[in-house]
Amino acid sequence: MLISRQSYSYEMLRSELTWVVGDDNVQTDCSEKLAHSIDYYWVPEVWHDRGLKPQTPTFIVHPGSAEEVAEILKIANTHKIPVTPWGGGSGSQGGALPMYGGICLDTKRLNKVLEIDPVSLTVTAEAGIIMQHLEWEVQKAGFSTMHFPASIACATLGGFIAHRGTGVLSTRYGKIEDMIMSMEVVTPTGEIINTLPVPRHASGPDLAQVFLGSEGTLGVVTKATMKIHPLPAVRKFHAYLFSDLHSGMVAGEKLMARRLAPSVIRLYDHASTISIIKRVLGIERKGAYLVFGFDGEEDIVDLQMKKAVAICEETAVEDLGTEGGQTWWDQRYKFYYPPYTFQMPQAFGTLDTVATFANIENVYWSMKDAVKEHCPEANYIGHFSHWYDWGCMLYARFIIEKPPQDAAVAVALYNRIWDAAIRAAIKNGGVINEHHGVGLKLGRIMRDLYGPAFNVLEGIKKTLDPNNIMNPGKMGFQGV
Amino acid sequence: MNMEKYLDVINACRFCFMCRHLATLAAATGKEADTPRGHALIADRIRMDKAELSNPDYIRSIYQAELSGACRKHCVSSYNEVGLMLALRQDIVEAGLAPAAVSELAKEFMDVQFKVSGDGDMLYYPHPCIETHQPEIAKAFLSVVPNVKVVEGGDCGKVLQILGFVKESQAVAVRFQAAVKASGCKTIVVSNPAAYDFLKTDGAIDGITVLHSSEVLLKAQLGSAAKLGKLTFINSDFLRNYQDCHAPKELLAKLGCEVEGFGANCEDSYACGEGSMPGIRLFPELTRKMVAHVAGIAKRFQVEAIVTPSPFTKHALMTYAPELKVLAIEEVAAAAKL
Repeated sequence: MLISRQSYSYEMLRSELTWVVGDDNVQTDCSEKLAHSIDYYWVPEVWHDRGLKPQTPTFIVHPGSAEEVAEILKIANTHKIPVTPWGGGSGSQGGALPMYGGICLDTKRLNKVLEIDPVSLTVTAEAGIIMQHLEWEVQKAGFSTMHFPASIACATLGGFIAHRGTGVLSTRYGKIEDMIMSMEVVTPTGEIINTLPVPRHASGPDLAQVFLGSEGTLGVVTKATMKIHPLPAVRKFHAYLFSDLHSGMVAGEKLMARRLAPSVIRLYDHASTISIIKRVLGIERKGAYLVFGFDGEEDIVDLQMKKAVAICEETAVEDLGTEGGQTWWDQRYKFYYPPYTFQMPQAFGTLDTVATFANIENVYWSMKDAVKEHCPEANYIGHFSHWYDWGCMLYARFIIEKPPQDAAVAVALYNRIWDAAIRAAIKNGGVINEHHGVGLKLGRIMRDLYGPAFNVLEGIKKTLDPNNIMNPGKMGFQGV
Repeated sequence: MNMEKYLDVINACRFCFMCRHLATLAAATGKEADTPRGHALIADRIRMDKAELSNPDYIRSIYQAELSGACRKHCVSSYNEVGLMLALRQDIVEAGLAPAAVSELAKEFMDVQFKVSGDGDMLYYPHPCIETHQPEIAKAFLSVVPNVKVVEGGDCGKVLQILGFVKESQAVAVRFQAAVKASGCKTIVVSNPAAYDFLKTDGAIDGITVLHSSEVLLKAQLGSAAKLGKLTFINSDFLRNYQDCHAPKELLAKLGCEVEGFGANCEDSYACGEGSMPGIRLFPELTRKMVAHVAGIAKRFQVEAIVTPSPFTKHALMTYAPELKVLAIEEVAAAAKL
């Protein structure tokens, strides 16, 4: 149901919403609509850049409690109005775009830290809190969430839950789905439910995992309890240069296969090493740059570091030392600030894929071939981050320096590259994706990725959201 | 248009989220339009279609910006989002599109005359804030540094600059400059960080050294202010984010105070909109929200007493959160007088 501003139904709905959250928390002005019409997805950005106007929400509503969220969803069900949750709005997949107008449910008033439990080492917070604010408060109490994603400054706790987000220390501390203990969720029909208080149990399937990664299609997460950790006594890094991607990959795999416990490993391909590593870190080398780090008690860190160094020394062509690694840690967010990040007029996409060690290099090369086939002038670079016992994530990117000026032509080319690259990745054992989510961008691929299992997801969606009000048209689910 | 001097900022900030956690007003309102990204998107719309400069929603957002400078200071490339917003305000004024409330407020600050009294080698400019004389601040400073001339009359041009009335701001600055020159003093001391910023930049006076009161108090013979107990420090946006002046913290250390930074980090602005001081008159509800945000943090961290070098921040906090105990840095220094 699309609502015209001139209609009486618009005013009736607006007034109903103000009864729930107050006049001040229902916005309809041009400034807020503009800011909620573009997230971190390149397509609405280019739409705006070319002077076109992306779809805006009809209402931006800022609830201040789970009860208010529930009331808003009940109103939306009554009127069958689409509701698009919006946390920080910094998702790269178009997941927060209000593509059918309706209500944009901005969660940022839900921003309180409720409790830090120093005995169980947990923190409970409202889900609209910006992650950096949560981390700062936890650090003030002497702990850390150990969740340090590039989007820490802008994304909310709920946003990370919605997209199964990852921070740079994921190898040791896990992804958000490993960090979350329990959640409060408002279902699409307006019931407030809680998942079980601990994540390890035998009381049936883990309900929390149904909502983790559901991207606002199955409800709104309003509160979460997550693990926290003591601040580490030391955190140490080391970097090496390898002659090529494969030798760096083998070293990283060995490090994981020996079951060392690094907090982070990152391996940059040659194209990234000679461009991004040079530009951001000032390290000017040819080959593949590998950095790793350990944290915790100093003697344990030193012992693990010694073993990791020995592995790398076998095949590395240059030891860049602790300084070469520490620089990466110190500058880890700089990669994402303009002008160090990619930005207009470039077209760019992050082909986030995760696979086993047996498949990950094939995924890298197959995506490169697909990108080059569909756009020979595109550059293709990649790095491997978020290493686990069984495999890792490939953060591959394509960059087109001068995309077509016509927005429709540019979007068509962009979509074609994405489609070809991701299908090539899936064919070679890759999964979309490790932490960016699906959103609008990749919804069409979900059925192929899951096969018949997607019917199960659709069944859950239909049961929880019979009127299909929650973020319709995302994650491959039905649109309006 | 003046905003076109900031195309680099528009291009960098319109799709960037990296400073959102420090967007001061957005932290209190939750609104996307109150972030540098929101501001840059609005500016970009205006860049693409000049008629949008008259969009009342955009004008309101442009004037609501609190200009804390926290995001600019945080940015690894220091993109000047404050400069962009001031340029947009100037464009609005020059196009005759300033809202009536803005124009009426500006008129109050145009017709000011300055006079100098007292005796001394140094000139003290006590005008502390937007709408209150806050005599306790000048009294405290003068109790420690009594032998100074005093220049009074009103704001020296900063408020008009913030409102986008740049030509009018310069006219006031010229009158202020004449009064300073006539005093014969070579050094002017200010308690208001906004004036400090103005007199260091657009309102600079040839041959005149500008000092903040805390820089002068640092050199005074003072004892300990430890008897005041635990103090929590809220910095001035103009001193920290605009001018990189750290004298207030140095002064508190010298006075032996037990001082803790406010909140959970050292990057956030808690100055309650000091960067856009007239905002307290134009949008008191927004100042109230920023104060409520700060008061909430004060309550959570059990803050006993706040000290700030910003008269504006003291005024805003005492207006909207009178339950808080707030001291100006001059008052802390006066308590340490030997």
